[in-house]
Amino acid sequence: MSRPFWIFLAFVFAFTSLARAQTRSITVPVWVESDHCGGPPKFQATVNGSRVPVKSALGPSSDQIILVVLDLTSSLTLIDPAKQALISQISKLPPNTWVGLLHAQDGLHVLTDPGANSKPAIAAIRALSNSGQPGLLGTVTSALSLADGVARKSPVRVSVLYVTDGSIYSYPEDYTNPVINQSDPYDLSRAFPDALINDKISRLIRSASSLEAPLFVVQLAFRQDGLSEAYQSGLKTLARATGGASMIAQSEAGIPDLISQMFSRISDTWLLTLELPPKVHKDIRIHVDVPCREGSPRVFWRAHFQLREG
Amino acid sequence: MRTLAALILGVGFCQRVTNLIADEPKAGEPSSAQSSPLVRGAEEFKILTGDMGMRPGAPPSVHPSHKLKLLWHGRVYEFFRNDALDAIPHQVKQNGQTKSPLRRNQFGFSVAGPVLIPHVIRNPHSTFFMLSYEGVREEAFQASLHTIPTAPERLGDFSQTVDPAGHPLPIYDPTTTVPNPDYNPNVPVSTSNLQYLRSTFPGNIIPANRLDSSAEQALSFYPEPNAHVGPFFQNNYFVNSGQLDDADGFITRLDHTFNPRNELTGHANVSNGLLAPAPYFPNAASPTPPPQHFSNWLSGLDYTFTPDPSTVNTIGLTVASNVVRASFGSSSPFPNYDMQGEYLSMGVAYPTSRNARNTIELSEGLSIHKGKHSFDLSLHENQYQVNTFDPVYPSGYFQFSPGLTSLPGIIDTGDPFASMVLGLPQYAQKSITTSPSYFRDSYQSVAISDQYQLSKNLMLNFGLDLSRRSPRVEKYNRLSTVDPLIYDPLANHMGGLAFAGRNGIPRGLRPANTDLDPSVGLAWNPLGHSNTVVRASFSRYHSMIPIYDGQWGTQGFNAQQTFFSANTQLSPALNLATGLPPYTVPLPDFSPSAAENTTADFVDLSGKEPVFRSVLFTVQRDFPFSLVITGGAEYRDGHDILVGDGAANPNAINPIYLSYGDALYNQAFRETLQPYPQYLGFSLYGLYAAGAYQRTEEYIQVQKQESHGLLLTATYEHSRQLDDYSNPYGNQYLLNLRQNWSLSSYNPPQFIQLSYTYNLPFGPNQPLLHFSGVGGSLASGWSLYGTAYWNGGTPLSMHPEFNNTGEVIPSLYVNVVPDVNPRVPHRGPSLWFNPAAFIQPPNFTLGDGTATQSNLLGPGYNTLALSVSKRLPIGGSRVLEFSATAFNLINHGNWNTPDTGIGSAAAPNVNAGHIIGSYGGRVVQLELDIDF
Repeated sequence: MSRPFWIFLAFVFAFTSLARAQTRSITVPVWVESDHCGGPPKFQATVNGSRVPVKSALGPSSDQIILVVLDLTSSLTLIDPAKQALISQISKLPPNTWVGLLHAQDGLHVLTDPGANSKPAIAAIRALSNSGQPGLLGTVTSALSLADGVARKSPVRVSVLYVTDGSIYSYPEDYTNPVINQSDPYDLSRAFPDALINDKISRLIRSASSLEAPLFVVQLAFRQDGLSEAYQSGLKTLARATGGASMIAQSEAGIPDLISQMFSRISDTWLLTLELPPKVHKDIRIHVDVPCREGSPRVFWRAHFQLREG
Repeated sequence: MRTLAALILGVGFCQRVTNLIADEPKAGEPSSAQSSPLVRGAEEFKILTGDMGMRPGAPPSVHPSHKLKLLWHGRVYEFFRNDALDAIPHQVKQNGQTKSPLRRNQFGFSVAGPVLIPHVIRNPHSTFFMLSYEGVREEAFQASLHTIPTAPERLGDFSQTVDPAGHPLPIYDPTTTVPNPDYNPNVPVSTSNLQYLRSTFPGNIIPANRLDSSAEQALSFYPEPNAHVGPFFQNNYFVNSGQLDDADGFITRLDHTFNPRNELTGHANVSNGLLAPAPYFPNAASPTPPPQHFSNWLSGLDYTFTPDPSTVNTIGLTVASNVVRASFGSSSPFPNYDMQGEYLSMGVAYPTSRNARNTIELSEGLSIHKGKHSFDLSLHENQYQVNTFDPVYPSGYFQFSPGLTSLPGIIDTGDPFASMVLGLPQYAQKSITTSPSYFRDSYQSVAISDQYQLSKNLMLNFGLDLSRRSPRVEKYNRLSTVDPLIYDPLANHMGGLAFAGRNGIPRGLRPANTDLDPSVGLAWNPLGHSNTVVRASFSRYHSMIPIYDGQWGTQGFNAQQTFFSANTQLSPALNLATGLPPYTVPLPDFSPSAAENTTADFVDLSGKEPVFRSVLFTVQRDFPFSLVITGGAEYRDGHDILVGDGAANPNAINPIYLSYGDALYNQAFRETLQPYPQYLGFSLYGLYAAGAYQRTEEYIQVQKQESHGLLLTATYEHSRQLDDYSNPYGNQYLLNLRQNWSLSSYNPPQFIQLSYTYNLPFGPNQPLLHFSGVGGSLASGWSLYGTAYWNGGTPLSMHPEFNNTGEVIPSLYVNVVPDVNPRVPHRGPSLWFNPAAFIQPPNFTLGDGTATQSNLLGPGYNTLALSVSKRLPIGGSRVLEFSATAFNLINHGNWNTPDTGIGSAAAPNVNAGHIIGSYGGRVVQLELDIDF
C-alpha cells in the first residue's frame, strides 16, 4: 500500500471518529422558574434513566443568538404594539446577545444577520410591512434547522423566537377542513376538524425531534373558536417539545408585557451539554433536576431528543 | 476541497464534510478558532441561510424539481360509514325493525405547495397553490312515524274511528243539512241549541256510491298502515327510507407574491351533485321534497397592496352562482291533498323548480396605524340576483277539514279524511306561472373604525357603519303587492294591487334603507397585567331583507286560481270529481283587483328592517396549570324581525269579533271583518318585519390549554330568551304580536358542553409504553378526541286539540287551570307533565295561557362522541392515519317531545303528557388518511 493511501485512511478515520464524537453529547435547554436556592443551579441529568455528566452549562450571562422570526400578516392593531415592544426589547439586550431577524411570509427570508449592532434589526422591524399569509407552520422546521446548524458550530445559546399574529384560517395550506359539497355541510367527517391541525403539529414535532434549538412563540391574538384553540395549543405543544415555550396575548394591551416576558424567558434559559452514554438508543428521554436544600424549584427542560441517523 | 472530499467520501458523508470544511479560514479572514463564539455563530448563520436560499439572490440549495417534490404536501382520505358498524337507531328498533341501511363513502384529496414553471416561475416562494377534491356517495335511511287513514276508513267505514279520548267520532252526512227551526241565535250553538241539523251516516259508514272517484284514485297511492303505536289508530305508519346524497366538489386557490408589497390571491370552488330526500311513500304522491340537482361555483380575486409598514390596502372581488333544479321527473306532479289534523298529506308544494342565485361582491379595505390609533376603512358593493321558476301548486292543492262532515258548531265531530273521501275540499288552489322571475337587489356600505390605546392597559374601539340596502326589484318589473294606499274599485276598498314601475310606483315597491350603525368597545387589563382582561362592547346593526327562492310578489303576472268554501261547515270549495276548471283570465293582469279572492302576497311597504343590538361583557383570567377561565354576560335584542304567516297577518280579524260566534263560519260575513275584505288572507313569505326578541345570557368557560397532551374546554351557559314569533304551532295574536311574548320554544335555558383532545402519553418519548423499534411505532401517535353535550330541554308549547273559532284564529293557546301544578313528581315518558293543568278554551274564545310554558321544559338532549386516531409514520414526512369515531358512543336514546295536545273536558287527549319513543343511536365512522 502506498503512503498516500494510509494517509487517506487516517483522514477518513479521523473524520468519522470526530463525527461520532460530536453525537456523543447533546445540548438541552433548561429553564428554572424561580431561583430560591441561591447561587447558580446545580443541574443533575439522566438520559434514558441513567445519570449522565453535565459537561457544560451556559447560563443567562453567556453569549446568545436569538433568531427572531416575524410572522405578521393581519391587523395593524396587533402588529404595531408588537413591533414597538420588539424594538424596545432588542434595544435593551446586553452586548453578548445578538439578534438575527427573519420573516416568514412566502418562505423564510433573512432581514438582518446577527451582529453586535442592533440598529439594522430595529430599522428592519420598523420597515417591515404586514403582508401575505401566515408562515409559521411552513417555516418553523427550516428556522429550527438553521438555529441547530448555528448552534452546532458555535458554543453559544441559540434560540428561535416567532412573533406571530397568524390565524389558522389564513394559511395557504388547508388546515380547516372546509365544506366542499354544499349538500353535506354537517357531515360527521367534520365533527373533529382540529384533527388536521393536530396531525400537522405532530409532524412538526417529529421533524424537530433531532434539532437542538428551542422554539419560543409569541402569539399576538387569542382566538376562542375550536380550530384556533387547537392551533394555539398545538404551538404550545411544539414549543414545549423543543424545550421552549409559547405565550398568547389575551389582549392588544398585553402584547408589550408578553414580549418582555418572552425575552426574559429566553435570556434566562440555560443550555446544558450532556454527555451521552457509550451505547444509547436514538430516542433519548431526558430528565433534569436542580436539587437544593430549600426544595427543588420548578424546572422546565426538553424531555425528548432523537439522535440523527448515522 | 469540498468537491474533492465529497467525491472521495460519497454522498453519506458529504454534508458532514462540508460542514466541517466550512470552518476553514479563507484568505485574509481571521481563523474561526480565533473568532469569538458569537462571530462564529453569525458567520455560520450567513453560510446556512445562503445554502438554504433565505438570502436575497441566494441560489437554491437543491435542484428545483427535487425541491418541488419536497415542498408539495397534502392528504388522501376516505371516510367510511356503514350500518354494519352502527347500532340500530332507537326509533327503528321501537318499531320492530332490525335494520336501518346506510352506505356512505366520502373520499378526496388535498394538495398544496409552491408552483415552479421553468423559465416562468422560478422562485419557489412566489406562487403557491392549493387544490382539494371531495366526493360523497351516500344512501342513508331515515325513520319517521306518521298517521295515515286506516284501510276501512279508505272505504268510507269510520265505525272504528275515535276521537283523542277514544270516544267514537261521529261522521255527519253534509247532504242532510237543514236549518234548525228551534235555533235560538241569542244563545251560543251547542248540542242543545243547534243552528243546523245534520244526520250521521248510518253505522258511521259512508256508502260506497258516495265515495268520490278522484279521491279513490288518489288514495290508491297511499301506503298501507304498518305500525300500531297508538294511541288508538294514531301513529300507524312507520317509514324508513333512503336519502341519496351524491356530490363532487373542488376547492382551488392560487397565491402569488409579486414583491413584498404586492400580492394576489385567486380562488375557485366548484360543486355538483344530487340530493334526494328520503321519500315517505314509494310513489309520486310522497309528501316529501323532490330530488335536487345542484351546481355551485364561486371564484374570486384578492389583491393586497402594502405601500408602507403602517398602511395595508386590500381589494377583493368574488363572483358566485348556485343553481338548484328540483323535480320528480314528471311533467305533471302529483296534486297536494292536505288533511288538516294528524293525517299525513299527499303530494307536496313546489314539486318542480329551478332556482339560480348569483352574487357579485366587491370590497375594499384600508388599514392605517398612526400613533395610538388604528384606523380601518372598508367599502362593500354587493349585487345579488335570484332567478327563479318555482310554482307552488302546479297540479293543484286541496285542503280538507272536519267541518263538512261535522255537526255544524260542535267540536269533536267530523273528520278531515271523511271530507276527502267525499271529495269535499274546503279550499283549493292552483298556481298559474307564466314565466320565471329575475329578482335583483344590492348592498353598499362604508365602515370606519378606530382602535385607540388610551393607556398601557386600556384599548378603546369605536366604529360607524353607513349602509344602504336596496329593495328587491325584478328585471322586467314583474313585481306587485297589496298596497294599503291603492284603491281597489272592484271591491270599493283600499288595498288594491300595486305594480312596480307603473303609476309612479318605484321598481322596488318600497324605498331603499340607509342606516348608520355604531359600535363601541373596550379591552382593559384592570390588574395591570395581561393575565386578566375585561372586555365590554355595544353594537347595533341592521339586517338586509333577503331574496328567497320562489315567485312571491308577482301576482298579476302569475296567478293563483283559488276556490274557497262559503261556509267551511256547510259547503265545499268545489267538488273534487269535477276538478279545477281552466284558468281563463289573460295575464298579465294589471288591474288593482287582480289578486282579489286569493291569499294575496303582501310586501311590507313600511320600510322597516330587522335591527339587532347587543351588549357584551366578559372577564377572562389566566390561572396556573394552563387554565383560562372566562365568565361573561350578554344582552341581545332585536325588533322588526322577519316573521311569516304563522306569526302575523295584517289582514287578520280582530279577536274581539269572536263574539259573533258561529256566524263567523260564513265566509262572506267573515270577510267584512277583515281590514282588507277583498282578500282571503295575506302571504308574508317569512319577510314581514314585525317580530321582536330579547335574550340574556350568562356563561362560564374553563379552558385547559394544552399541557401533558391534554386540551380541554368546558362551557356552561344559562340563558333566558323570549320572543313573539317562534311558537311551533303559530301565534294566537296575529295583529299585535307583543301579546305572544313568551320563552322561545327552541332555546334550551341551560346547556353544558365539553370538548377535549388528548394525545396519549405512549411511545418512545413519552412517560408510558416507551418501547423502541416496532413496539414504539405501534405505541406512539395515539390521540383521543371527544365531545359531550347536555341540555335541559326546551320550553313546551301546549295547543288545544280543537279550534272552534270560525276560522278567525288559526292557532289557539290553551287555558290554564288555576291552582293545578303542571309539574308531576316523577316525570318520565309515561307522564312528563300534568295535562290537567291545561284545558281546551271554550268555543269562540282565546286561550288565556302563553305560547310556551315558562315552568315546563321538554326532555333534554345529550350526546357523547369519541374519536380514536393512530398516526403511523411511513417514511419521510408521510404519515398513515387511521381513525375510528363513535357518535352517541353509549347508544343513548333521547326522548321525543311529549304530546302537548290538550283536549276538552268531554274529549280529553288521552295521550297528553305522554312521550312516544326515543330517537338516536350510535354511529361509527372509520377514516383512513395518508398525509404526505
